[in-house]
Amino acid sequence: MTPPPLLARHWDDNRLTLVTLTASLAPFVATIVTGGPAQLPPLALAVCIALLWHLAFALPRKRLPGWDGIVTAVIFTVMVPAAVPLWQQGLALSFGLVMGNLIFGGRGRGFLSPAAVSLAFLLFSFPVNAGPATGTAAALAALLGGALMLIAGILSWRLVIGFFVAMAACAFKWPVPMIWPEWPSATLIVGLIFLIGDPVAAACTNAGRWFYGLLAGGLFVLLAYAGGDILSSVVFSGLLAAIFAPLIDQGVIWANIRRRARRVRHD
Amino acid sequence: MERTPVEIRLRKGKTIDLGPSPGNTSVIARTVRNVGVMAMDYPGVIFDLRVSEGDRVRRGQLLCVDRYRPEIAFVASVSGRVHQIRQGARRWIDTIVVNVEDDEGIRFDVDAAAQNDGALRDLLLKSGAWLGFRTRPFGRIPDPSDRPSAIFITATDSNPLAPDAAHVLKPLMESFRRGAQALSRLTDGPVFVCQAPGSSLIDWSKTLRVVRFSGPHPSGLPGTHIHHLWPVSDQRSVWQIGYQDVAAIGTLLSSGEATITRTVSVAGPGVERPALVRAPLGAELNDLLEEPRTDETLRVQRLVSGFSLTGREARFLSRHDLQVTVFDRNATPKHTRTALRRMIDKLPLAAPGATQPSEAFERLFPFDLLPVPLMRALAVGDIETVERLGGLELLEEDMALLTWRCPSGIDYGQLLREILDTLHQEKAA
Repeated sequence: MTPPPLLARHWDDNRLTLVTLTASLAPFVATIVTGGPAQLPPLALAVCIALLWHLAFALPRKRLPGWDGIVTAVIFTVMVPAAVPLWQQGLALSFGLVMGNLIFGGRGRGFLSPAAVSLAFLLFSFPVNAGPATGTAAALAALLGGALMLIAGILSWRLVIGFFVAMAACAFKWPVPMIWPEWPSATLIVGLIFLIGDPVAAACTNAGRWFYGLLAGGLFVLLAYAGGDILSSVVFSGLLAAIFAPLIDQGVIWANIRRRARRVRHD
Repeated sequence: MERTPVEIRLRKGKTIDLGPSPGNTSVIARTVRNVGVMAMDYPGVIFDLRVSEGDRVRRGQLLCVDRYRPEIAFVASVSGRVHQIRQGARRWIDTIVVNVEDDEGIRFDVDAAAQNDGALRDLLLKSGAWLGFRTRPFGRIPDPSDRPSAIFITATDSNPLAPDAAHVLKPLMESFRRGAQALSRLTDGPVFVCQAPGSSLIDWSKTLRVVRFSGPHPSGLPGTHIHHLWPVSDQRSVWQIGYQDVAAIGTLLSSGEATITRTVSVAGPGVERPALVRAPLGAELNDLLEEPRTDETLRVQRLVSGFSLTGREARFLSRHDLQVTVFDRNATPKHTRTALRRMIDKLPLAAPGATQPSEAFERLFPFDLLPVPLMRALAVGDIETVERLGGLELLEEDMALLTWRCPSGIDYGQLLREILDTLHQEKAA
């Protein structure tokens, strides 16, 4: 038997999942409170699907399943338009869980946010015309969740500021059509926090987080200008930015190595 | 020649609160019954014995040498009888235990060393003072003929509960200065004295440079100092040495006696009164505790040589450690007190997980290195990337805070040690 650690760690994967889950449940609870329990069956279905896929990947490998699938399920349910049939939701979520996370070996080993992959699959496969009807309460709750994620250090403030700076700058160049009733809506906030701001999908260096946030903000306005609604703009800007994140990090790494090599030469 | 800054303020890092430190209390001498020399303290060294079980040894007498570099001597830190020679894996000598019996020391001839640099090296090697040096990169005992590009004296210690270097050095200032002067004869480059803010420990000269470091832990670790003042690479290496080892060299040069006692802090959640104690190198940790020591207290105490994140639970004090952290085996950790936390801890945890990036790592890492790419490279064992990302500038202790903060449960210090050993072998081949 190994002795217990000398100094207990404050963070382990379960606590990380719990904090993220609390933050993502906040807008969901607000929707339930204001709009009634119509969203509960989709959530139950999504959580069951997530647990099943995690078990399906963990059992053959004789490993313990991670709990992060529940978080993916909650984020997906919060963002998905209520009009989408349940079988389409289940199919899209399954695709995202497997292709965005599990085939890479679990959370932290992939390079995309599984919820973003699910939503992108849904938007590609089944035409969704209406954005989700989210109220001010959900938007406020999402802001609270975002504050929790910022305090816990899971969401990067550099990324958030970069996103809004780029959004403001680009909105001058490409005035966004007036398709968005309330601005910023819960969809945008939840998408920024959990899809674009997902630490696994985002850049992993401080300088890279600035560039990544700027890129995602610019892409968001560009996609909205080209005619996308909020949901598709936020999902695809997150997905595209995540694909560029490793390249951004590689650039930061090169710059760091060059800078240190110059320092050693000059001493 | 570049200019050396006088003061460096660091903001990144974290000093973990482990209760009161001994502060400026007076030093208590403890009677120690056993001391041990452990191979684990010297990565890459294989002991070749020069004594056998039952032999009588005097303080400063040769116990064993390194098999590949027999000039490097390991000497007895007390006089007494060789009680036990323990073998570990591959029948290599693991620990040499000496029973303390009386007080009889060896006097080394120091006259030649005062003038001749070669004689100084011989004296340091023969008296065991050489073991105070560690090279960077790799963290090993330097080769007897090696000339480093600089030497770093760490005259501060930011490890939580560590003794205050300025307080310990107060009665030893004369020896410390003499030792620092002697060190400048071992290198062609500068000797850096890295200290906490306060009055200068040593007069600034062309070879001796004083730099003050302030900020949270690890602002007082040699890795941080070297990174900011004189970054090392595969082309350039430096030596690091602790302040008490420098004072010991100073005393050796004036009296001819190898000073083998150190002032060590004994503190932590498991002791009532933290104390500064004076004890020989390799002292048995049990003997450093306050009297009365009943079987009951010894059973509930967990003794760690060193700071709790970097040290290890052991029987003897490690060569470079200046503190003993005591934990209470029965105490419930603070974070499991609420019911919700206890429930979360009961959930199965897939371990070890993967490195998940967070800005928190950057906030704990006062180096111009990229923590998350480095941690990922360590986790997958990518030796080339670790080297490119500056892994050669680091030792295990520099990774301790990242290991503590990372939710994955990966021990990055251990992984770094394995990679450093591989790189060292490649370089030697």
